[in-house]
Amino acid sequence: MEPARGDTAVRDTPTIRVMTDQTLDEAERIASAGEPESVAVAIEPDEVIFDLQSLSCFYGSFRAVRDIGLRVPRNKITAIIGPSGCGKSTLLRSFNRMNDLVEGARIEGTILYHGVDLYADGVDPVEVRRRIGMVFQKPNPFPKTIYDNVAFGPRIAGYKGSMPELVEQSLRRAALWDEVKDKLGSIATSLSGGQQQRLCIARAIAVEPDVILMDEPCSALDPIATLKIEELMRELKENYTIVIVTHNMQQAARASDFTAFLSMGDDRAGYLVEMAPTQQLFTSPTNRLTEDYITGRFG
Amino acid sequence: MERATDPTTGELLVEDAAESAHPSARRTFDRQLDQVKDDVLRLGARVEEALERAGRALAERDSELADAVRWEDAEVNELQRGINAEIASVIATQAPVARDIRELLSLYHAAAELERIGDYAVNIAKLAQQLAAEPETPILKQIPRMEQICREQLRAAMRSLVDVSEQEARQVALRDDELDHLYNSVYEDALQLMSVAPERARQAVHMLFTAHHLERLGDRVTNIGEDVVYLATGQIEDLNN
Repeated sequence: MEPARGDTAVRDTPTIRVMTDQTLDEAERIASAGEPESVAVAIEPDEVIFDLQSLSCFYGSFRAVRDIGLRVPRNKITAIIGPSGCGKSTLLRSFNRMNDLVEGARIEGTILYHGVDLYADGVDPVEVRRRIGMVFQKPNPFPKTIYDNVAFGPRIAGYKGSMPELVEQSLRRAALWDEVKDKLGSIATSLSGGQQQRLCIARAIAVEPDVILMDEPCSALDPIATLKIEELMRELKENYTIVIVTHNMQQAARASDFTAFLSMGDDRAGYLVEMAPTQQLFTSPTNRLTEDYITGRFG
Repeated sequence: MERATDPTTGELLVEDAAESAHPSARRTFDRQLDQVKDDVLRLGARVEEALERAGRALAERDSELADAVRWEDAEVNELQRGINAEIASVIATQAPVARDIRELLSLYHAAAELERIGDYAVNIAKLAQQLAAEPETPILKQIPRMEQICREQLRAAMRSLVDVSEQEARQVALRDDELDHLYNSVYEDALQLMSVAPERARQAVHMLFTAHHLERLGDRVTNIGEDVVYLATGQIEDLNN
């Protein structure tokens, strides 16, 4: 994969430019004036990690997602919510080309990642997935030791530094180190569900990604484990950009900075209704469909 | 439609569509919200009645009626406490968002303002008792007018809350200027009364305080209008300016 434009800035500029009132006003203006599909949050150009332009995702002849235009801001947690079947996971999986592995899957439109077209010829999907990690609904550690689970990715990538240090750093960042430091040689599947999920996050972190995608990461966890993951997400966003798909609207409200609401058209394709700062979307959504969905009037 | 699956987990990538809107999904919440609204309306009616009776006690030098207003305020306070508990319970159990949470917050704040308005009615009733104990002095004519405007404003504010009418809420706020003007006029007349008839200074002060309570009461009603604007638009505005 070609070096992404502006990629070096990912770790070199830890400061976050706060959304100005002007940009929020602009977002409101767009939201009130445009078609639902065109609603987008205004983000400073150098804060944009993903820029989706008229993105449609297909499985064979079936269009699962249509004409999505949205921008994902750096070092923020962006939640994607919407009713079952609206294409949330499909959209998320398009962010790191996971759907390349599905026969018949294809996209139309563009996903720019740091300004680079992710689906352009010559872009290596393996490198895409290293930079853009993913955590799934069910914790899926390898049937290996805790240590090997974290070290696996860096080994494959030919990591030359101190592996024990990298493993420790990754487990610390995933808020799991204190719980496992004395049993790194234990089999990973002996951990609790919440611990396994944090191990999967540590595994994703170990290959030093830029973005972490999370697909319903707490749906199999109890409330305490869920809150731990949410707290962890808040810590992780200092260093990573997070995009999370969740069925749990309270989780989106609690844990995310921005929320994108997808609905489903008559053709069963998901489309973007509204994306807004989470606080705004959950107190004063601009679109009636969003209001009806989050207040339980449909879906 | 093809059933695309994840090649590693075998899970379906396209879920079945959500069930369509289910009319019963919000039934419990809607019932609870209606109960809160009914109670706030009842509180508004009680407070308006208290204000009318306090005004009548003042005009008719009816100490007994004023006493009743004072005693009955306990029921107003009790009603407000009940509303607070109901709203806390709905928020805790239903986790409302968007317009639902705005409506509950507006009702919570409106109930608090109504309780304070009830306190002003009690203060006016106390002043009515003190005036009734003094040699009779004609009530300054602006005061019954202020009391009438306050009640009209209150009724309009409650109507705007029920109808979620931003326009009507803004109208409520506009009438507050009229109250301010009348209050200034009472102030001038009370000063004049004190200077031309110093033996009636006590009555003049009581009337000035009465007008002051009514002026403050008008501000509280305007605050309810602000709640309605927040409920309708999501915007927090100061309608007093």
